[in-house]
Amino acid sequence: MADLNSPQKLLRVPPPPEGVGGGRCSEISTELIRSLTELQELEAVYERLCGEEKVVERELDALLEQQNTIESKMITLHRMGPNLQLIEGDAKQLAGMITFTCNLAENVSSKVRQLDLAKNRLYQAIQRADDILDLKFCMDGVQTALRNEDYEQAAAHIHRYLCLDKSVIELSRQGKEGSMIDANLKLLQEAEQRLKAIVTEKFTIATKEGDLPQVERFFKIFPLLGLHEEGLSKFSEYLCKQVANKSEENLLLVLGTDMSDRRAAIIFADTFTLLFEGIARIVETHQPIVETYYGPGRLYTLIKYLQVECDRQVEKVVDKFIKQRNYHQQFRHVQNNLRNSATEKIEPRELDPILTEVTLMNARSELYLSFLRKRISSDFEVGDSMASEEVKQEHQKCLDKLLNNCLLSCTMQELIGLYITMEEYFMRETVNKAVALDTYEKGQLTSSMVDDVFYIVKKCIGRALSSSSIDCLCAMINLATTELESDFRDVLCNKLRMGFPATTLQDIQRGVTSAVNIMHSSLQQGKFDTKGFESTDEAKLSFLVTLNNVEICSENISTLKKTLESDCTKLFNQGIGGEQAQAKFDSCLSDLAAVSNKFRDLLQEGLTELNNTAIKPQVQPWINTFLSVSHNIEEEEFNDYEANDPWVQQFILNLEQQMAEFKASLSPVIYDNLTSLMTSFVAVELERVVLKSTFNRLGGLQFDKELRSLIAYLTTVTTWTIRDKFARLSQMATILNLERVTEILDYWGANSGPLTWRLTPAEVRQVLALRIDFRNEDIKRLRL
Amino acid sequence: MSMEDYDFLFKIVLIGNAGVGKTCLVRRFTQGLFPPGQGATIGVDFMIKTVEINGEKVKVSERLSDVLICGFTGKELQIWDTAGQERFRSITQSYYRSANALILTYDITCEESFRCLPEWLREIEQYASNKVITVLVGNKIDLAERREVSQQRAEEFSEAQDMYYLETSAKESDNVEKLFLDLACRLISEARQNTLVNSVSSPLPGEGKSISYLTCCNFN
Repeated sequence: MADLNSPQKLLRVPPPPEGVGGGRCSEISTELIRSLTELQELEAVYERLCGEEKVVERELDALLEQQNTIESKMITLHRMGPNLQLIEGDAKQLAGMITFTCNLAENVSSKVRQLDLAKNRLYQAIQRADDILDLKFCMDGVQTALRNEDYEQAAAHIHRYLCLDKSVIELSRQGKEGSMIDANLKLLQEAEQRLKAIVTEKFTIATKEGDLPQVERFFKIFPLLGLHEEGLSKFSEYLCKQVANKSEENLLLVLGTDMSDRRAAIIFADTFTLLFEGIARIVETHQPIVETYYGPGRLYTLIKYLQVECDRQVEKVVDKFIKQRNYHQQFRHVQNNLRNSATEKIEPRELDPILTEVTLMNARSELYLSFLRKRISSDFEVGDSMASEEVKQEHQKCLDKLLNNCLLSCTMQELIGLYITMEEYFMRETVNKAVALDTYEKGQLTSSMVDDVFYIVKKCIGRALSSSSIDCLCAMINLATTELESDFRDVLCNKLRMGFPATTLQDIQRGVTSAVNIMHSSLQQGKFDTKGFESTDEAKLSFLVTLNNVEICSENISTLKKTLESDCTKLFNQGIGGEQAQAKFDSCLSDLAAVSNKFRDLLQEGLTELNNTAIKPQVQPWINTFLSVSHNIEEEEFNDYEANDPWVQQFILNLEQQMAEFKASLSPVIYDNLTSLMTSFVAVELERVVLKSTFNRLGGLQFDKELRSLIAYLTTVTTWTIRDKFARLSQMATILNLERVTEILDYWGANSGPLTWRLTPAEVRQVLALRIDFRNEDIKRLRL
Repeated sequence: MSMEDYDFLFKIVLIGNAGVGKTCLVRRFTQGLFPPGQGATIGVDFMIKTVEINGEKVKVSERLSDVLICGFTGKELQIWDTAGQERFRSITQSYYRSANALILTYDITCEESFRCLPEWLREIEQYASNKVITVLVGNKIDLAERREVSQQRAEEFSEAQDMYYLETSAKESDNVEKLFLDLACRLISEARQNTLVNSVSSPLPGEGKSISYLTCCNFN
């Protein structure tokens, strides 16, 4: 049993180098060994134990090797012992010295602190004595000043008294001379009340008499008595009265204006100008006084009072405007017209002056409001330079509220709201008129309506811009976009839809050419019948003019966008419209610019239509005649062809005649586009007929000549290179011109040089096969 | 703003009576803010937010077309927040036509704002494109105890008008993201469908393209 305990005991006791130690280190317990009965297991355990023993032995060896090093280290440590003792002694001495110095310093500074305190107390005592003396001085001063009616002096004394520390006064009252100070204080307070009463009374009298120097004199006294709010409110009352008087005079003048007067049409805008300029002048004149005597940040209060009067005057002016100009009736009339076309239409021209006037009125008020905003915020900025972010935001909010919610803003928003509807009507009706009165003058590419319509749109947007209201401008841009994109585009679209009329001759030719074209031409015919043109020529001209119109529209829209952009930078530089103004404007403008692309698309459709109805059916038979000219010819015929060209000269002549008609009546850009479409068609069709023909050597030479003349001609009529379009045909001509089949290898593959083959190997074989003098086997044998 | 910055550009216009919380919805979505004491909007406010629609949602719209390769990563939402007040009506109306979607908003605690909805629908009918997607939104569900318009009533109404309906709270940020992102997804899938339809009905030779275009949904 003692053996059972042995492992635990051994845990505590350091293991002897050999023997039982295995029981501790080994995972195999003695019990385990004892419980083993099989020889095999015993052997296995024995082997493991042997292994472990080897490991332990290795570890022991390693430890024994280190013995020397450890011993030498121990010797060094022993040597360091005495040195350490010396260091300890030094350190203790140093600590003692530091403690001593510290105490000394504490002692000295505490004395200095006491001295400091004494000095401060002394100062306070002197201050208090001064204050008490001041108090007495103020008391005496106020009395004298009041007696002499020197209110400024009296107010200065009161101000001094108000600035004194109240606790000091309280303390003084508790001192020996308490009763005397009490009496003084009472007198002072009485004087303060009296002065307030006097100033208020005198101010009122001065206000009534309109005595500006006196008004300003007392205005300056209010802040000294701590009556900032009251001073500003009383003063603005005086100013408001001035504004009201002036404004009433102006309004009377307006009502008396002769209708023939040069400015009669914008007299209400002028009245606004006078009103706002008057208020601006007042602000300008009195801002320095307010700033000097009331401190910065007070202008807001003054303007808040003034704005009330401004609103009152604006209301009167706008009332008169609405009445005299029949603004609301006009609006209702327009609204009825927009809703219900049956009612008698109001003549758009009649609206013109009133629309101009109302935008001018808005421009004036925007200018005035931005003036106020600038003045107030810069005043706040000075006053709030030390203030917290919250106070600043609070002030900003007050300012926004004042300017956004004032009656002037609301009234103008209302007027502009109605204006937009009327301007929309004006634009739409005038555009309709321009379309109805559309005329075309011979020699011109476009008809009158394009210029007219863009003049109108520009005028309407320009007028909206002149209102200085970004929302109004954006709304008009939106409405113009709608007008151009749907209504006006529809007009042009419908004209193009009538199609380019085909002539009877063409119809027959087309009928012969292909079944698709028969179907197509009958469709054309269907369109042709429904339209009301007198003659085909007129219908043709109308189509071409419309194409030109569409192109110019697309261009004009881009120009309009650019013009508006540059016009508006001025407005944005003034900071009108808030932070989003630019983004709003840009977004609306990009919608307008997108309409330009829609017109371009329309132009492409028109061109396709023209190409399909006028070019293709004409050109195709001309190309087909190529088939009737034999390219399987002898020397004699070749020479004869030289003298009497069988096909290409006539073809070129035909093309020239046909395109001449279009060149004269289409704009260069459209004509270019059309020729490009035409050349593409010629290239495709010519390839088709070539593949249907047969050639011999001389025939190939003949075709090469023909192709060269054709390309030379087409190069003269197009502005861009056409070589690319004819690349396949040129390569076909090269092939048809070969001496023998294998010669192709001189141009093919590694020998192709700068030439890029547009023909596939199969196509090359196909073209080679057109030469009747080439043997099929040779062609088949070719390795391409 | 160059056109290359985004794959799609959609214009969403918020309309509805004054004070129903249109500006707050937009602020919450674009800036994550709920400014207390928001003043009335003057004219229109304009905000842009570029959103990424995750891959899964794109897949849904991918299904609509095998022709389209989905090179789509993000898109831009232009949100126009209009003033509800009558005097700005002519300004706000001018934005209807170019809008891809309209969010018609009312206040669930204000019966009056709900009763005005038919009037707003008439405006939409008159001025908006016939392709416009309209969503009805009942805002201010954080004020549930003051609710005057029941959810059921609103749902019935929106169903009758064939509109999608959602209740939101700009204050608690409930359903705001969902509102705009769901709308974006629907706009994308419609745009893709349109492109598909357009490419299928490409003009037959000789016929010329049908000259009148769809006015909305042209994303160049």
